[in-house]
This record gives sequence, structure tokens and C-alpha cells, in this order.
Amino acid sequence: MHFFEAIHLTKKFNDKEIVKNVNLHVEKGQFIAFLGPNGAGKSTTVEMLIGLLTPTIGEISLEGIKVNSEKFRNKIGVVFQDSLLDRDLTVMENLKTRANLYQNFDSEYFNQIIIKLELEAILKQQYGVLSGGQRRRVDIARALIHQPELLFLDEPSTGLDIQTRNKIWQVLNEIRKTKQLTIILTTHYLEEVEYADYVYVLDHGEIIAENTLDNLKKEYAHDQLIIHFKGSSKFCDLIERNNQQIGQDLKLITNSNIEAINILDDLKNEISSFEMRPGSVNDIFLELTGKEIR
Amino acid sequence: MVGLIKRNLRLQFNSFGGVSLSLMGAIISFVLYLVFLRQSIASGLSRVPDLKQILDPWLMGGTLTITAITTTANSLGQMVKDRDNGALRDLLLTRPSYYHIQGAYVLSTILIGIVMQGLVMTFMSLYFSLMDAMTFRLDWVLPILIVMILSSVVWTTVNMLLLSFINNVDSLSKFNSIIGTAAGFFACVYMPIGLIPTSAQWLIEFTPAPYNAALFRQILLKDPLNNSFKNATPAVLNDFKESMGIGININGLTTVYSNILLLVGFTMITIIAILIVTNILKRGVLKRH
Repeated sequence: MHFFEAIHLTKKFNDKEIVKNVNLHVEKGQFIAFLGPNGAGKSTTVEMLIGLLTPTIGEISLEGIKVNSEKFRNKIGVVFQDSLLDRDLTVMENLKTRANLYQNFDSEYFNQIIIKLELEAILKQQYGVLSGGQRRRVDIARALIHQPELLFLDEPSTGLDIQTRNKIWQVLNEIRKTKQLTIILTTHYLEEVEYADYVYVLDHGEIIAENTLDNLKKEYAHDQLIIHFKGSSKFCDLIERNNQQIGQDLKLITNSNIEAINILDDLKNEISSFEMRPGSVNDIFLELTGKEIR
Repeated sequence: MVGLIKRNLRLQFNSFGGVSLSLMGAIISFVLYLVFLRQSIASGLSRVPDLKQILDPWLMGGTLTITAITTTANSLGQMVKDRDNGALRDLLLTRPSYYHIQGAYVLSTILIGIVMQGLVMTFMSLYFSLMDAMTFRLDWVLPILIVMILSSVVWTTVNMLLLSFINNVDSLSKFNSIIGTAAGFFACVYMPIGLIPTSAQWLIEFTPAPYNAALFRQILLKDPLNNSFKNATPAVLNDFKESMGIGININGLTTVYSNILLLVGFTMITIIAILIVTNILKRGVLKRH
């Protein structure tokens, strides 16, 4: 039995399938990323996974516990895209109010979270007057308050500065290590996916690819060698491969560094400069969906 | 559920503006009474002795009904706000179920309704005792408290049913304005029910408001009426009660007990309607952002 799984998840709105037969298997402590353009069905999938939306077809369970039961809710934490806490209450009042709604409240852990997320200074401030970054740190604290085993992050970093993003990931990675926290993330930030153990790529409500990031890169994102020639690039024809010529530049897909070095060696007298670009998550995305992710 | 009730109460009393706005209906009826309503009603009743001792508690009965209507509507507004701004989605991830969350809105609203009626009652009793030498009797306290609880329950359920159909804050503020204005007419404070055209009376009698006001007035006016009408025939007293809404004419004037039964009846019917509507609307309340 998997730690968390979703089988044949499908959601129809007015006969239109928004999510089509999504299957998901997550082991304890894994960091799973959902990658997809806007409108791919990521948020709808997450809403079903956390029990806020009933799937048209499909089953979801966490360690055998059915979605939407009290036990299930106790084991999950969610950071929504929007900040949903009470704007008129202070940070402390918000956190205490939510903590009172769970069984697993441990005041020592609560204090640790506040210190880790550097919330001490803003505890008495109204949630509604906080900056976006401060609010997000409070949202993360709220999601972790009852020590969930599975944390859902629905595009948590949108609109945040790099410092806040780093802070959030530093805290989450620490909890992952110490508590074996499992994370399911949907994001637009490709660098966040780089740390994921397993990636699902969604488009038009379907999983179009899934694998570890390394394997996805091997399959879909090849390294690129970009060569800038001194004169006209008459040498292009010499290289028999799928290449792309733009002005005096030549973009080559290479399978290994050795291959790139050999090409560069053959053409060394004609080259003005060159650039080696490793395959990225964005390439995977472009290859699979034909769209830029952002 | 206690945690949720505490949250709702804290949100309600944290915003002074919200609380005072919810009392606007009551404040307006009180001020209008002092400015001109008392005089204009009194001018038609010049033959009734000790009229002030009757009109002051009469106004109190109506104003308490308005308070019950508007403060419960305002408090239940939190339910709509939570739906609109997504807080409900966050609450649904906690231990309490959807029905517990709804229950918490209801219970905190009933509490708020009782507290606000208590405040209004205390203020008006003090004012009229000081200004008009109104006699405040201690044996009012218990029956009035019971009626306050009953009114709070009735209007919480009625407003719960009405607000089930409202999903955003814009419509909520329109709803509150309408309720605030209508409450004074339905509780027959701006104008005694006897002066209202029959068709409008018929409409008003389909709501719990006139029975609620009548119930308050029957308790508060028991002694003043006995004093002022001790020399009058029962028919004269009945006519007066009917025209002032101290008893509503349904094949004879309603009594304290029939008013209580009617209010309980309204509550039961409304609860059934809420259960039906909640089941239908449950799926639609989780607004996507």
C-alpha cells in the first residue's frame, strides 16, 4: 500500500472533463511536484486530493484512510494559492484559533514553528495589514500547526521575493528531514521543482509525463551547445543532426559533454564563442506541451 | 465547535464598526421615537391616561425585535464572508465537519443576538427610567430573557435561510440594508400595525416579526395597561391592543402563549427549509479563487 494514492481521478464540470484519469502514488517523505501551465487542472486536482472537491470518478486515500474523513483532515496541511486567514484577527489569534480546531496541538512545536518562520515580531499584528511575504509565512505556519504528515502547497511562492522563498524552503526542508514530511507541490517556479523526488507534468487535465526529474530531463530536455561563428556558418551542413541556425549562431542538441567537446574541437578555428546550456525543467515542459511554463 | 464559536465571537466583537452598524436599525427606531414618533402616535391617543408609561415599553418591545433581526443578520454575515473570501475552505480542512461549522455560525449568532438585545434593553430601561420615570420591574427580567433567547433563535434561523442564497459580500451589504430598513416596519415600530393598510398587515403577519414584538410588549405592558385601562371595557382594551400590535388578530388576539407557539412554529418550519437548502447548496459554497 502506498502512503498516499489517487486512482482514476476524474472531474467533470457540465460534461467537460477538467481532470482526466489522474493516477498518483506517493511514498512517505517524498517531495512530489505537479507541473503544468495555467488551466492545466493542477488546482482542481489538488482540491480533489484535499477533499474540498468531490471527484466525478476516482478514489483517494492516505494510509488507507478515505479522503474527507476527520482522520484524513488531521493528517494533511494545505497552503492555498490565496491567503485565507482572518484579516481582522492578529497573527497569534489566527494561529491559536486554527490550532484549537485540531487534536494534535503541541505548544512546544507551535513555538518552534513560530521561531523557525521568524514570526515573533509580527504575532500581534493584524493579518490583514501584513505584507505578502509575511502573510505567506503565517500561512505556512498555519498549515503546519497540527503537525501534518502530508503538506499540499498550491503555488505557494507566487509573487514572493527570493528571500521569503528561500526562507520557506529552508524551513520545509528541515521539517522534511526531521519529521519525514511528505510534500505535494504545484508551482510555476521551475527552480522549486529541481528538488522534487518525482514530477508529474499535467496538461489539459491529463498527466502527460511522470518520472524522476533526472529521467525526465534525459528523455525530454537535452543539453544544448550554441556556437557563434566568426564568419558565415557554412559548417552547419557538416554536422548531420537536428540543429537550428539563427544568423551566425548554431544551436546543437548534444547527448554528452564529450560529443560537444569533439564538435568544438573540429570547428575550433571558425568559432568566435560558444555556450553550453544544460537541459532544464523548462525544456521538458516545452518539449511536452509546446508552451513556455510562465 | 467551541473553538469555532470563539473565533466567530472574536471576529464579531473585534470590529466595533460592524457591531454598531448592526444596531443601526435599533438606534434609528429609538431616535425617531424621541424626535417625533412618540408625539405623532400620542396625538391620536390623547384620551389614554399615563400614555408615556405605555408608549415607552411599547417602543422597547419593537426595538428589541429590530435588534434581534438586525444583529443576527449581521453576525451570520460572517458565514457569507467566509464563503466569499475562501476562509470556509480553510476551515473545512480542520476537525469540525461542514455541519459543525454551520452549527457554530448558528450558535455564535444566537449568543450575539441575546447579548445585543440585553445591551439595548439595559440602555433603554435606564434612559426611560431616568427621563420618563418608567418603572423597571425585576420580575420582567426572567420572562424578557426567555423571549430574547427565543427571538434570537427565531431570527437566526430566518436569517440563516435567507443568507443561504447569498454568496458574496456585495449582496450581503445590500441584504443588510434591506433587513435594517424593513425590520422597523415589520416590527411595527415606525407605525402601529393598526395604521398600516390591510394588505401590508397581511404580508407582515406572514413573518415572525409582529408576534415577536407583541410578545415583548405583552410582558412589558402588562401593568401599565392594567393601570391606564382599569376603567375601560374589555372591548376598548382589545381594540387598543389590536391597533398597537400588543396581540395580533388571528381569529382573536394572540396571547403570550400563542405568540410563543407561533414563534416556535416559524422556527421549526425554517429549520426544515434550511436543512433542505443546505443539502442542495453544500456543493456550491466552496467558491474557487
